[in-house]
Amino acid sequence: MHVPIWRGCAHLGWTGVGIVTELAVVPGDVGEVPSGRAIRRFTAQAARSRAGATLGSLLGSVYYTVVSVAIAAGCAAGAAQTMRGSLPPAPDVAPPQGLSVPALVALVLLGAAGVLVSLAGRLGPVGAGGAEAAWWLGLPVDRSGLLRPAARRIALAAAVAGALVVGLLEASLLGTGALSIVRSAATGGLAAAAAVLLTAVVQSLGVARRRTALAGDLLLAAAGALAAGLALAGVHVDSLPSPPWPVAAAVLVVAAGLAWLVDRRLDRIPARTLREGGSVATHAVGAVVSLDSRELGRALAVGTAAPARRRVGRLRLARGPASALVAADVALLRRSPRHVVQLVLAGLLPVLATVVPQLAGVASVLVAVLAGGAVAASASAEGARHGEMAPVLDRLLPLSARAARRLRMVVPFTATVVWSLAVFAALARWSGTPAGWLALGLAGAPVWAAAAVRAAYRPAPDWTKPLVATPMGALPSGVAGVVARGPDLVVLCLLPTWIAILLRSAGPVLLVAQVALAAIAFAVGSSTSTESMMDRLARQMDEQSKQGGGR
Amino acid sequence: MPRGYPGRVPPAVRARDLLVGYGAAPVCAPVTFTLGSGKVLALVGPNGSGKSTVLRAVIGLLEPVGGSVQVLGAAVDERTAEFRAAVSSVLDDDAYFPSLSVAEHLYLVARGHGVLDAWDRTDELLEEFGLADHAKALPVALSSGQRRRLLLAAGFARPRSLLVLDEPEQRLDRRMRSALAQRLLDEKAAGGAVLLATHDADLVAAVADRALYLADDRNELLSPREAAARISQDPS
Repeated sequence: MHVPIWRGCAHLGWTGVGIVTELAVVPGDVGEVPSGRAIRRFTAQAARSRAGATLGSLLGSVYYTVVSVAIAAGCAAGAAQTMRGSLPPAPDVAPPQGLSVPALVALVLLGAAGVLVSLAGRLGPVGAGGAEAAWWLGLPVDRSGLLRPAARRIALAAAVAGALVVGLLEASLLGTGALSIVRSAATGGLAAAAAVLLTAVVQSLGVARRRTALAGDLLLAAAGALAAGLALAGVHVDSLPSPPWPVAAAVLVVAAGLAWLVDRRLDRIPARTLREGGSVATHAVGAVVSLDSRELGRALAVGTAAPARRRVGRLRLARGPASALVAADVALLRRSPRHVVQLVLAGLLPVLATVVPQLAGVASVLVAVLAGGAVAASASAEGARHGEMAPVLDRLLPLSARAARRLRMVVPFTATVVWSLAVFAALARWSGTPAGWLALGLAGAPVWAAAAVRAAYRPAPDWTKPLVATPMGALPSGVAGVVARGPDLVVLCLLPTWIAILLRSAGPVLLVAQVALAAIAFAVGSSTSTESMMDRLARQMDEQSKQGGGR
Repeated sequence: MPRGYPGRVPPAVRARDLLVGYGAAPVCAPVTFTLGSGKVLALVGPNGSGKSTVLRAVIGLLEPVGGSVQVLGAAVDERTAEFRAAVSSVLDDDAYFPSLSVAEHLYLVARGHGVLDAWDRTDELLEEFGLADHAKALPVALSSGQRRRLLLAAGFARPRSLLVLDEPEQRLDRRMRSALAQRLLDEKAAGGAVLLATHDADLVAAVADRALYLADDRNELLSPREAAARISQDPS
C-alpha cells in the first residue's frame, strides 16, 4: 500500500520529520511526524488544562518555594558559620597518626562523588517511567526531544547538590573567604554535573546500571580506605586550596562538552534502559513522598544485582529453622556490596572523628558515633526489612513471630559487635581513660540490633488519619511516632553510652545501666505490637470507659 | 522501498534459534519461526513458558541470550524511528498519563505517528472499542477492562507492518473478543502481520495461520486446531 508522506503539517502546526518507509496498514493519510518537543508540549498542555491552577496559585507556589529555599540556605549558612567558629585551631605539631581537616574534606568530597555516581547509576540517570515509557517511547519521533528535559533536570539537580555540599563543607570546616567559597561551590557544582553527565554517556553506550552503581560504591569505599591509610600513615595536608577561576572554567568546558555529547546520544539509549531507570525513579520518589526509607532502599537496589549467580550457595549455617533464618540474612548481607561498604564506612566515621584533632571534641564524636552506629545497624538489617516486606521465610519456617524477630537481630547484633570493637577501641584511645570502653560498646550492641529490627518492622504511616499541616506539607497525625520507631531505642537505651562520651569516661555504673537498658531494648525490639504507647493508653482508656458505662 | 531483498518484501519476523531469557538463563528452548506479511502466528504455552519474553525480544525490549531475530529484513533496533513506525505493540503496560483523557491518549498515538485526520481516527476507534461514552474520562475512572480496550485501540490507531499483542484477550468480554478476532482478520487481509501470545483457544482457532507451542525442552509448530486442543489441556 503506497503511503503518501510529505503532506503538510497538521492543524496543530506541528513540524517534524517524515519517515521514509512503506507500511502495510495505514489508518488514514499519513503526514509529517511531529517532533519530540511537540509531543511533550501536547501532553503538558493537556495536563495543565486539567490542573485547575490559576496564575495566583502558581505565583504563590513560586513564592513559597523561594522563601523556603532562602530560609533553608540561611539556616545552613548560619550552622556552617557556627560550626566554623566552634572548631579549635589546628595543632602546631601534627600528631604522628591522624587526619587533618583539609584532608578529611577532600576525602569526604571523593566519597560524595562516589555516592553521586552510584545514585545516578541506580536511577538511570536518564529514564522514562510509567506513562512516558508506555505512550512516548513507541512513537517514531526524535527521542532526544522527548528526553532532553529529563537529562537537563538531572544535571541541574546534581549541580545544585554539588554546589551546596562543597560550599557548606568549605564554609563550616575550612573557613575560607566568601569569594573562595563561591568559587569552590561553583566548581563543585559543575564537577557534580559533569560526573552525572558522564554516567549518562556511559548509559548511552549500553553499560549496565549495576556496573555504574558498583563503580560509585567502589569510589566511596576507596575514599574510606584512603582515609584509613592516610590516618595510619600520618600523612598531613595542611590546606585545601580553593580552585582558581581557570580551573572552574575548565570544568565548565568539560561539563558543557559532556552535556553536548549526552544530547547527541540521547536517542541511542535503548527503551529497556529508559524504562528501568524511569521505573526506579518513580518508585524512589513514591517512597520519599510516603516517608518510607525502607521502600527507598528497595527502589535503589532494583536491578543492581547480577541476574544470575555463578554458584549456588550451600548455606552451611542452616541446620534447623532458626539457623536457616539467620543463614538467609547472612547470605543477603554478603551479596549486597553496597551494605558491606556502608558497614565499613560506618565504622570508619567515628574512628576518624577521634583522629582528626579539630573534630575530636565531645559533640563531634558523639554525633559521629550516633551516625556511624545507625548506619551500621541499618545496613546489616536488610534481612529484617525483607522479612517485613515479604515474610516468606518467617511463615514457612516453624517459628513464632516473636522468635523470628529475635532471630532477625542476630546479623545486626554481630555486625554491631564488630563495629563496636573498632569504634570503642578508638574511643578508649581518645578518652585517655581506656578502662571499660570495650565492655560498654559490647553491652550496647543489642540496643543497635533491636533498634534496627524495630525500624525495619515499623508500620507505614496511616494516610487515612486526619492530616496535620506542617512546614513539610500535610502529614498524617502520628507520623512522627511511626518514623521514630527504632531511633527511639537508640536515644533512650544508649543513654549510658552517650553519658560516657560526654564525660569521656566509661565507669562501672554506666556499664551496669547499659546492660540493663540493653535487656529492655531487646524485649521492646522482640515485640510484634505495632501500637505506640499513646495508642495503647488511648485504647485502654476507651475500654475502661466502656466498662464503666456498661455497669 | 522495503528493506531486505531487492524486489521482494522481507518477512515481518524471522527468528533463528532465538534464545530469550533474563540474564544468561534462557526461559525456553531456542525458537525458530518466520512470520510473513498477511499472516498471524500465535505463541501458546503454559504460564512461564516464555511467550511474553519472546515478544519482548522481537520488539527490542530485551536482548536475546542467543540466536537472532530480524524484523522486516533488518536486525531489531527499536532505537530507530523506522522500526518504531513499523512495529505496533500492545503489552501489559498499565500506565497512563493521569491528566490525559481516553480520547487524548488515542490522539497522541495517532498524531504521533503522523496520521493527519487523527481526531477522526480517534472517534472511530472509540466507537469500535466501546469507549465512546468514556472519551473524556481520565484513566483513573476506567475499569481494568476499559483500560485494556484503550491499550488495544492505541495499537490500531497508528500505521504498522507488524502488530505484536501480548494476551490481548485479557479482561475482555466475549463480545469484545469476537470483535478483536474480526479486527485481526481484517489486519491480515490488509497485509499486516500479527504475532500474538495468547491463552485463548478460540482466538487461535479463529485468526491464527500457525501456532508455536513453547516449552523448556522443545518448541513445536502446530496448526491452529492442534494448538487450540493443546491450550485446553494446559494446566494453567
